[in-house]
Amino acid sequence: MLEFLSYSFVQRGLVAGTFVAVACALLGVFLVLKRLSLIGDGMSHVCLTGVAVALLTSTSPVYMSVPIVMAASVGIMKLTQKFKIYGDAAIGIVSAAGLSVGLLLTSLAGGFNTDLLGYLFGSILTVSFSEAVLCAVLLGIVLLCLLSFYRYLVSACFDAPFAHTRGISVQTVNTVLVMITSVAVVLAFKVVGIFLISALLIIPPVAALLISRTFKQVLWLAALFGAVSVWVGVWISFVCNIPSGASIILVNLAILLSSYLWSRAGGTNAR
Amino acid sequence: MSSVLKAQNVSFAYTRVPVLEHVSFDVQAGDYVGIIGPNGGGKTTLLKLLLGLERGEGNIALFGVPLANFKDWHKIGYLAQKSPVSQSRFPISAEEVVLMGLPNRCGSETCVSELKQVHEAMQKTRTRQYAGTIFHDLSIGQQQRVLLARAIVSQPELLILDEPSTALDAQSREMFFDLLGELNKKHGVTILLITHDTGEVGKHISKFMYVDKTVIFFGTKQEFCHSEAVAKQLGPFAQHTIDHLHNHHGHCPLGEDCEECAHGGKHA
Repeated sequence: MLEFLSYSFVQRGLVAGTFVAVACALLGVFLVLKRLSLIGDGMSHVCLTGVAVALLTSTSPVYMSVPIVMAASVGIMKLTQKFKIYGDAAIGIVSAAGLSVGLLLTSLAGGFNTDLLGYLFGSILTVSFSEAVLCAVLLGIVLLCLLSFYRYLVSACFDAPFAHTRGISVQTVNTVLVMITSVAVVLAFKVVGIFLISALLIIPPVAALLISRTFKQVLWLAALFGAVSVWVGVWISFVCNIPSGASIILVNLAILLSSYLWSRAGGTNAR
Repeated sequence: MSSVLKAQNVSFAYTRVPVLEHVSFDVQAGDYVGIIGPNGGGKTTLLKLLLGLERGEGNIALFGVPLANFKDWHKIGYLAQKSPVSQSRFPISAEEVVLMGLPNRCGSETCVSELKQVHEAMQKTRTRQYAGTIFHDLSIGQQQRVLLARAIVSQPELLILDEPSTALDAQSREMFFDLLGELNKKHGVTILLITHDTGEVGKHISKFMYVDKTVIFFGTKQEFCHSEAVAKQLGPFAQHTIDHLHNHHGHCPLGEDCEECAHGGKHA
């Protein structure tokens, strides 16, 4: 039953997937509470541009996508701050731009091929050693930020104007959060694919929020749900021979449904 | 007395339409200023400018330090018009909300000294019993009292409050204004308060500021009653407004010194 764990590529994929899923879940808690959940969706569409440029130039899609997605996230923030456009509208604009440019460049690169499909739908078992190391570094940065700036993050997330009057630079907090999310999104497209990245950022935090009574509990549970979804998802994928990205997200959805039922049964912080 | 808050020629516009123009005033230590004015007159925007939440033209100084260089935010307590949580389920206790008012000196954990300060502030606002309750689960009035505790927990020298009493019941409102009065009189806390509840606040405040796109009037209660600028601004509504408040509260809303103003309307 657990024979799939004996393969080194599976071990590497599981470790990298766990790192990314936990990082995404932790970041997602703040994004969901700041009502920026869909920023991951917007960024993931921009990933397509990065992948297309990489295919055109025969470079690494991961390394090519990081600066492009970061630039896009800055674009989203500038649209909301400078031009006073609603956050969801700004995400929609950048998302559409990223997707259309990506499709255009993909067409120039010779159309859809096996590599591109791997990025669109995820291929956790093809994660390289260097990418796994990057995932570990990402999680390390996320944990370091959380431990160092926990109270600033919670305060800025709960009540940004008041946080400003405590001397907290809310704009800096937002920028750092969105920048780290950019890297997480790029690393996550290997795990679940471009189309499903936002689910890793949204579903575990939402499931945790349904059944938690404290903020720290939300963080612990979201991280646990993210990790469990990768382990169980990959196992189901191996046993049933189905795409790993889809099975990971389906496990996430099952966790969300369980949390909802648990909260309905009374184990909740809801009124 | 030293200057706590000074605005010089401050102007602001959201688009091209000016919200505030050429605002200048100087609030001294120990002042209790009631800011009044019509809806859309720019009162809330003025407070946001003073706290750096909006950026306009002109100069603002807090405790003698230009706003851009101001670092001693623990000297200021702020309570906004709206509660920060609307429909979102933010899993944070009332105690943790009050803790946000303190400078972060103990990392992600909470120190004993911090908890002591938090509990004292909650005691003052009669919210100690809600310490462990999820903030989201409290009523709007209870939330507002918890937020007042957050505003005073750092023992600020200046309190800035934007219509804080709108969600409070009569008993809580009285407690609220009595507490502010005590902070001002006993502890010398300077207070800037936007309110439409002139009757209640009139008992405690020392100065009025009337804002309608600019500062129409800034001075003592007595000066307010005799201000030609205020009479001109309020026009035929001046006497009506004063009479209305007079009837509701049984005394001149602008203080006992304004008997002539309330009844005769000669000056208003």
